[in-house]
Amino acid sequence: MKKIIGLFIATTMSIGLISQVQAHSRWLLPSHYNMSSEKGLWLMADATASNEVFNIDKALSIDVLRILTPKGKLDKPSSVYKGHRKSVIDYFVADSGTYKLTNNYPASYRTRYKLNGKNKRLLASKAELTEKLPKGASDVSTTLSYARVETYVTMNNPSDNFGQDGTMLELLPITHPSDIVEGEQAKFKFVFNGKAIAGVQVEIILEGVRYRNDPQVTSLVSNDKGEISFTPKSAGRYLLIAEFERTAKNQQLADLESSEVFLSFEAQLN
Amino acid sequence: MKINNVALYFLLFFTVFCSSTIAAENSATYSDTSASKIKINLVLAEQSGEYHSPYVAAWLENDKNQAVRNLVLWRTKAKWLKDIRRWWRKIGRKDQQLVDGITSATRGVGSYPLTFKALDDNGNILPQGNYTLFIEVVREKGGRAIVKQAITLSNSPVHHTIKATPETGEIHITFTP
Repeated sequence: MKKIIGLFIATTMSIGLISQVQAHSRWLLPSHYNMSSEKGLWLMADATASNEVFNIDKALSIDVLRILTPKGKLDKPSSVYKGHRKSVIDYFVADSGTYKLTNNYPASYRTRYKLNGKNKRLLASKAELTEKLPKGASDVSTTLSYARVETYVTMNNPSDNFGQDGTMLELLPITHPSDIVEGEQAKFKFVFNGKAIAGVQVEIILEGVRYRNDPQVTSLVSNDKGEISFTPKSAGRYLLIAEFERTAKNQQLADLESSEVFLSFEAQLN
Repeated sequence: MKINNVALYFLLFFTVFCSSTIAAENSATYSDTSASKIKINLVLAEQSGEYHSPYVAAWLENDKNQAVRNLVLWRTKAKWLKDIRRWWRKIGRKDQQLVDGITSATRGVGSYPLTFKALDDNGNILPQGNYTLFIEVVREKGGRAIVKQAITLSNSPVHHTIKATPETGEIHITFTP
């Protein structure tokens, strides 16, 4: 029993380290984006950090995974499994409408510095540095950081259940995720602290990069309305990675504010 | 009170009776298209290997890509309705009643002559104009085909032929005003 607990903690810690140090892409990949049923159906989803869309690499910690139901209730998965390569959830989708799955850890302050020629990192705000930063540290920079890992699953008829909360960078669908179709233009909007934001760097990648020489990344930047538009060439599952960084509003705590959104979605056959 | 009720029911019945008579007369004089027919000879192609009868949907979209008339739905379990991709997105997921109303059992390989009145989903005469007929055929553990044909509903009869696909044989469509 002790061994099992030890293994679990070690796994969790290494995951924490990975997401901070290497900044892998992350995603929630559901078994189905669209479902039809009169009685409800089981859904499963994988949570993983990997730079190879959508081949799994390292399990994401999913303690904060929540499901926003069409009725506005915040559910937890009915069961979870944490492997080494991926975490998995089980969830019964009972009602018609759109469910939003999120795995968003709270925003945190991350400080980078150099010590004896080596890059180091520390989970601390600027206010904590006098206490926590080792002597001799140089090139110190602190970032307030927040990442959203999310996806949408629709049972029968879609509903606009996008769960906007106003924290740093958010993706708001203009084209409903359930209405993204090959060969048709789709639109998303980005807001930062609830306001439309220009200059968000976006990458959209079709699954299957392991079997292509060219990863075929579509790069976009949000316009003055915070919007991006794109036309998926082929049906399939896509990962969207959005990043926005700016000078921090509260310079007492951080130099920069940085926020990311990882959205997986499917483009359907037309 | 009782008499009032009887009188009320009579009045109601009379009104409904009269208005339905008027509606019938109107549709006869309004337009010749009340007798218009769309005929589809739908052919499900022969397959080799494991075979499950396809889920089939056929419908009309107007020139704004809006579904206006659901013609055919051959299906079994609701769980697989989403696999009739375009039909599910345009019609199926939005209207449970409509789905239930037109559902019938799946059919195997064969040729199926089908005849429809040129009406919309509410039973109203389809206005003259340009439409697209879609036929979507999806087999479990098999292929999918979506074929479409632009069709103009006017005072002239039309005949179209849709080329065969791996899932469908040659399909003939006629419109007689």
